[in-house]
Amino acid sequence: MSAPAPVTTDEPGQVASATPPARARSRRLSDRWLAVVFISPALLLLLGMSVFPLLWALYLSFTDYSATRGGPADFIGFGNYTAILTSSQVHQRALTTLIYVVGAVTLQTVLGFTIAYLISRRTRGRGLLTTLFLVPMMLSPVVVGLFWRFMLDAQFGVVNSMLGSLGLGQVEWLTRQQTALLSLIVVDTWQWTPFIMLIALAGLTAVPKYLYEAASIDRASEWFKFRTITLPLVWPLLLIAVLFRAIEAFRLFDLVYILTSGGPGVSTETLSFHVYKVAFLGFNTGTASAYGILMVLVVIILTQLYLRYLNKLKED
Amino acid sequence: MRYPKRTRRRPVPNRTSRLAAAALLVATTVAACGGDDDSAEAGGPKAPATIPTLTNDPLTLSFIWFEWPPAQTLEDFANAEYTKDRPNVTIKVNTVPNANWHDAMFTQFAARKTDFDIAILDSQHIGEAVTNGNILDITDFVKENIDVSAYNPYLLAAYGQFPQAETGQRDENASLYGLPLLGDTWTMIYRKDLIGEQPPKTWDEMIAAAEKCQTENPGVSGLAFHQANGSDAAAVTYNTVNGVYGGNLWNAKDRKIEGVLNDQAGHEAMDILVNKMKPLTAKGSGNWFIDEVNAAVAQGKACIAFQWIAASGGLLDPKQSTLGTTRDEILQKLGFATLPTQKTDLVPLGGMGMHISAYAPEAQQAEALNFMKWFEQADVQKKWAAAGGVPARTDALQSPEFLNASPFNKVYADSVPRMRDMWNVPEYARLVDIENTNVNAALNGAKSPRQALDDIAREQQKILDSSGKKGGAGL
Repeated sequence: MSAPAPVTTDEPGQVASATPPARARSRRLSDRWLAVVFISPALLLLLGMSVFPLLWALYLSFTDYSATRGGPADFIGFGNYTAILTSSQVHQRALTTLIYVVGAVTLQTVLGFTIAYLISRRTRGRGLLTTLFLVPMMLSPVVVGLFWRFMLDAQFGVVNSMLGSLGLGQVEWLTRQQTALLSLIVVDTWQWTPFIMLIALAGLTAVPKYLYEAASIDRASEWFKFRTITLPLVWPLLLIAVLFRAIEAFRLFDLVYILTSGGPGVSTETLSFHVYKVAFLGFNTGTASAYGILMVLVVIILTQLYLRYLNKLKED
Repeated sequence: MRYPKRTRRRPVPNRTSRLAAAALLVATTVAACGGDDDSAEAGGPKAPATIPTLTNDPLTLSFIWFEWPPAQTLEDFANAEYTKDRPNVTIKVNTVPNANWHDAMFTQFAARKTDFDIAILDSQHIGEAVTNGNILDITDFVKENIDVSAYNPYLLAAYGQFPQAETGQRDENASLYGLPLLGDTWTMIYRKDLIGEQPPKTWDEMIAAAEKCQTENPGVSGLAFHQANGSDAAAVTYNTVNGVYGGNLWNAKDRKIEGVLNDQAGHEAMDILVNKMKPLTAKGSGNWFIDEVNAAVAQGKACIAFQWIAASGGLLDPKQSTLGTTRDEILQKLGFATLPTQKTDLVPLGGMGMHISAYAPEAQQAEALNFMKWFEQADVQKKWAAAGGVPARTDALQSPEFLNASPFNKVYADSVPRMRDMWNVPEYARLVDIENTNVNAALNGAKSPRQALDDIAREQQKILDSSGKKGGAGL
């Protein structure tokens, strides 16, 4: 048996008391096992809160299960999927959702980028302006919906009051087919334009100054600088912002619920609102699960196509 | 180096971890399936005929209702009166927004676990709750503890019986799943100072009076009524006009809607509603429900309005009204009358009953039975009437405590023999949504009246016919 190794001390010449060496860690507590132990709570949470519900919904989507009626969930194959894909009700809601997504995201992108561009050209008060523009984004959609509902009220709303003072007539913002969807787009744009603005501002700030200086030396016009320097460099970042907003807009529920309840009639019912009705009015859990899975699939496929385009853009 | 470099990368997660994850998923799946809870007896478990021994420990008896004035009235009344008999009990009436009322109750029923002991269900919800076994069958309890002869048979049936009773009747052999809590119907509210002391007697007269009043009083609309596409707002409005003009909602025996709802009388009713009544309403009133109609009346912006009696109390509050600084001043301008008649004298049945959750603990269920027995006593019903509630016992309805409590209480008492309900079937929520959205579409110009009514009939028939459909149910 070899002698114990000398122990170093703070004071030379003093002999330290011989303490036993730290016990070797159990073989099971290796670095990798420690890592597993540390990440397992998060993993369990993810499994329990995300993965399991998704798998469970996938299973239910092939059954005729109803949460309130209980009883066994009978397997019905692709019955729910076929019914959803061939339903004229679903087609109508898909069209409404598409119009909403395209309208809201386009408006938000144009406005958001314009505001970001204007702010980026300012040197004073830029921080304050940015913060002020971000306020709507920080509010709860339910709160936003409620106060816009009051503002857009045909009888006592401030919007009609302003129109009246300009000599214009009353507009039934939330109860007419032509204006209800437009109102939803406007409210969503009011709340989420700052998101696009923020991302665009980050992109604009990152454009190297020397490019503009070089262009200025060559006497390039402002439009030329914007078209050949600003836009190409900010474009990929802007497209990511558009992707996020499109996904968000695609699953719009809260504003519809508060502002129009899907009306007049069903003219502002989005896909998410319709899923809610299928799930909680009739408690047709199997159908609602299939509906939800299809919506996830649509988002995944469109996102993949979009990301491929983005990658191609980067490579070019 | 303290730790030797590994020569082989250990797979993470290894086989054990993967097995553990799989076991976890299976366990969660089994838990989510709810075990044998799903085998709950269809029709609901039976409540005992006699009230079990009550606990003397502190106990909170929870109700669930939607947010409106009667909810607070009930909580205050029950805590003041019931606790005289049962001092260890606290009554809590939990409320949700009206639009979430059905979802809030039935999502908890779906989970087979409720945070309420007594659900205050709309009469039309009973079918869904009974079919799914969510509420107790109290038939035996009622036989032993409740004097059923003290009630108008239809009121007792409407708030508790399933299968649904025929209008105006009660099937004594049918099971009971609830007892009346709050009676209700529509009242016509009219401006005495603008259209005269006497209310219009017929529907046609009412429309003519509203039109004249609107013309003579710029800024005041002729009519105000429920048009929203949430809850059952627009559907009740159409059903009321449909009834008055001699239409029928369905043939309950044959479960037939198509061809019944959209017959000649039905189309006439829809035409009256959309083309004669709607033009007399305020611009932008296409999403009005209880609060908006009350606001229009209180601000003096409507000549004639239709409102649930139980929601009309605030109209007499000077703090909420511009019609007067005292209740008497307001009453000089506002009149309350039963609905005008036309081809029939039908009025909509409103109100709700008390139903005991099948998933409440036994002590709570026992207390709930005791509360129901206490609540349905003659003297308690009169006190409930005096506190602002609308009782269901005939003696309480005819008592001075009730008739003198509010000017619209007599309207309710007079309306009881005229009431008609909607369909009380498990598919109710889908049926009412179809009707609501289509009537709302017609009222707001998104569909023609004829198209809207035909769509309602077709889609509702599809729902009734597709009960038990495999795949795509609910679309």
